[in-house]
Amino acid sequence: MAGRSGRAAVSALQTAVAVVFALGIWEALVRVYGVPIWLLPKPTDFLARLYTDAALIAYHAATTSWTILLGFLLGVLVAVPLALAIVSFGALERGLYPVVVFLNIMPKTVVGPIFVVWFGIGPLVSVFLVFLMCFFPVMVDAMSGFRAVDRRLFFITRSMGATPWQEFRYLRLPAAMGPIYAGMKIGIVKAIEGVIIAEFIASEAGLGYLIMRASGFMDLTLLFAALVATALVALLFNAVLTASERLLVPWARHLQD
Amino acid sequence: MRDTAAGDGAISPARGGASIRVRGLSKTYGRPPRAVHALGPIDFDVAAGEFVSLIGPSGCGKSTTMLLVAGLEPMTAGRVEIDGRPLTRPLSDVGIVFQDHLLLEFRTALGNVMLQQQIRGLDRDRQRARAAELFARLGLVGAEDRYPWQLSGGMRQRVSIARALVHDPSMLLMDEPFGALDAITRTQIRHDLELLWLDTRKTVLFITHSIDEAIGLSDRVLVMSPAPGRIVEEIRIDLPRPRPAHLGDYPEFARYARRIYEIFESLGIYRFR
Repeated sequence: MAGRSGRAAVSALQTAVAVVFALGIWEALVRVYGVPIWLLPKPTDFLARLYTDAALIAYHAATTSWTILLGFLLGVLVAVPLALAIVSFGALERGLYPVVVFLNIMPKTVVGPIFVVWFGIGPLVSVFLVFLMCFFPVMVDAMSGFRAVDRRLFFITRSMGATPWQEFRYLRLPAAMGPIYAGMKIGIVKAIEGVIIAEFIASEAGLGYLIMRASGFMDLTLLFAALVATALVALLFNAVLTASERLLVPWARHLQD
Repeated sequence: MRDTAAGDGAISPARGGASIRVRGLSKTYGRPPRAVHALGPIDFDVAAGEFVSLIGPSGCGKSTTMLLVAGLEPMTAGRVEIDGRPLTRPLSDVGIVFQDHLLLEFRTALGNVMLQQQIRGLDRDRQRARAAELFARLGLVGAEDRYPWQLSGGMRQRVSIARALVHDPSMLLMDEPFGALDAITRTQIRHDLELLWLDTRKTVLFITHSIDEAIGLSDRVLVMSPAPGRIVEEIRIDLPRPRPAHLGDYPEFARYARRIYEIFESLGIYRFR
């Protein structure tokens, strides 16, 4: 374990060095060539902005994070039971699954304007877009997870006298946890993309809104600061997912190695 | 018959094995005109505590026979009686081992074995004690907290055998349990199974296509024809136990093996010139 955390520390250090190095080159080039701040700000400019405008950026980042959390949880809570239902009932698979596939292929962002008409300008548009974006990858992976159980394993559990609930609890659900997490990791990336787009088109708060406003005022340092904040929000969600996976699905690590 | 398992926590139980009686058993998959007659009709008996192998070519219905005896597939015709009682639903007082270990990758070795206790609702401490004893008997000490992917193929199959025995069933059904293992591992695990069986005297129905394995383990070998499988010969194996790694030491072994080869040749399974 000491070796593992030691290796993690070294790799974190390497990443930090690389990032500082890249920012240093950026800083130097902008200074040497005297690029105006309204065209391309220096890293020191927009990193300073993260500090001076911390309250403003934190407010919008919190709004965005809340939207992601709601939409994402909604997506997972609908996708996983639906996946189980589709896998369990042949009629659902034949009737519903083609519709789901069609909806999945359709670019989700195009329904943004429809949501604006239905829900008006506000957080609901963002929540629903996030829901749509993360719903499909979670559902598709959950389906493959629920299906992955070998038929003969059910022979063994039936000889144990297992009830359908026990089969779900001891076989299907744990078997699907790894794939569900894989789907959620794709889903969270899509969710963040979705929330920013939704906030571009229909919101009065959130990092997407802040970015559009900064762009309107040609306040490029704020825009870049908001970009960094967006990346930090994405990193946070990823970290929470990864940590909870280690806790809940400890056996899945070998699948990634 | 259900959940009478796990008597006193010892590997050597007071309970003997169950007897199996099969009459006119046959299986047809699908419906006319596309029906495939896969098995039988076959008749055989397995006495309580007896070790009987079914040997035959691939696709002859050996595995189907096992599933029918376990009550896990509906039979097309015939009857199966366990201890004289007709089988009407999945057999519970049984342990099953397949060719693939079929361990749950998300459970440790011990966790996989304890699935029996959890699903059957048996006493946890007693089952743990039995699991520990089985792990010791099967050379699995130290593997308890390992996940299946951290174990060798032979170890996984040993865990699978422990899972099939931990609740002290009166019958063990094994479908080519060593088929996926290398020759050296299977010789050892064959011996370990024989010793365990000598102590416990479970009734064992053992499906195999290995002549060595069938003769090395069984009291009787039932030879099956290609699909739709029928039992074409019954060979009683009179060799002392426990049997050695190198069965060729016995002249009788060569006789039994030659008899099985002859049957396979007469059925057109082997076409040597």
